[in-house]
Amino acid sequence: MRKEEETYLSGNLTAMIDVVFQLIIFFVCTVSMQDDSVNARIQLAMAPHGVELTAKNPLQVIIDVDSRGRIYVGNSWVEAGVLKAMLKKSIADAHQAVPVIIRGDAKTAHKDIKRVMDVCTEAGLWKLEFSAYKERG
Amino acid sequence: MAARKKRGGTFTAGELNLTAMIDVAFQLLSFFIITSRPMDVLTNLDVSRPAPDKTVTADQEQPMIRIAVFTDGYQINDKNVTWATLANLMVKLAEMSKTQTIVISSVGDAPHESLIRVIDLCAQNGLKNVSVMSL
Repeated sequence: MRKEEETYLSGNLTAMIDVVFQLIIFFVCTVSMQDDSVNARIQLAMAPHGVELTAKNPLQVIIDVDSRGRIYVGNSWVEAGVLKAMLKKSIADAHQAVPVIIRGDAKTAHKDIKRVMDVCTEAGLWKLEFSAYKERG
Repeated sequence: MAARKKRGGTFTAGELNLTAMIDVAFQLLSFFIITSRPMDVLTNLDVSRPAPDKTVTADQEQPMIRIAVFTDGYQINDKNVTWATLANLMVKLAEMSKTQTIVISSVGDAPHESLIRVIDLCAQNGLKNVSVMSL
């Protein structure tokens, strides 16, 4: 075997591998952030016979109600009056009824859910949706 | 890219040592496998609030089933029932008609879970017209 055949061309892959790992870590971290607009501490009730949720409506308004009856929209605590104004503005902007999803904690008293439902009714929304777990991960 | 020996017994230059990178890759892989858990599958249960419907007059009223949710039990058409009885009755009622209106009323102190359980029972039996009221 001649000597020149045994010489290999080698590129320095270290920088590329560094960048690839940085990209992997970036995507892993950002994927889990997409659901941060809801209150993660709310433990929904189980509804194994509901229809599995596939698509999200961009107009939908998600209202969280925690076990102590506090109302959150977009992970921010809001008063019932503010919620009503927000819903009215959403309806005015969309020029149609917006889908409202109530994410109530399993332990929330019904009177706190009723408060939210009454606000929706006063804003002119009669069709509501309750969010629940079909399967727990 | 295994190291190759020359005839003389020395190694050629230009090799990349991947051991450290593979170690880190396996560490990351194990970390993500251990920390990840399956996603929760969510469902949205449609309900309506009873609205004054001007198109329905008193003599045209649809038959409806009234279910009441209390902190310690359930009622169907003002009759106390256990959960098992309620589930059986709903199967029979759904066989008669799936379009009939179910009005679920709940007391203020009942947990939201009880209401969801009844709505889920309606979904299980294919009953779509569910209204929620409060007692």
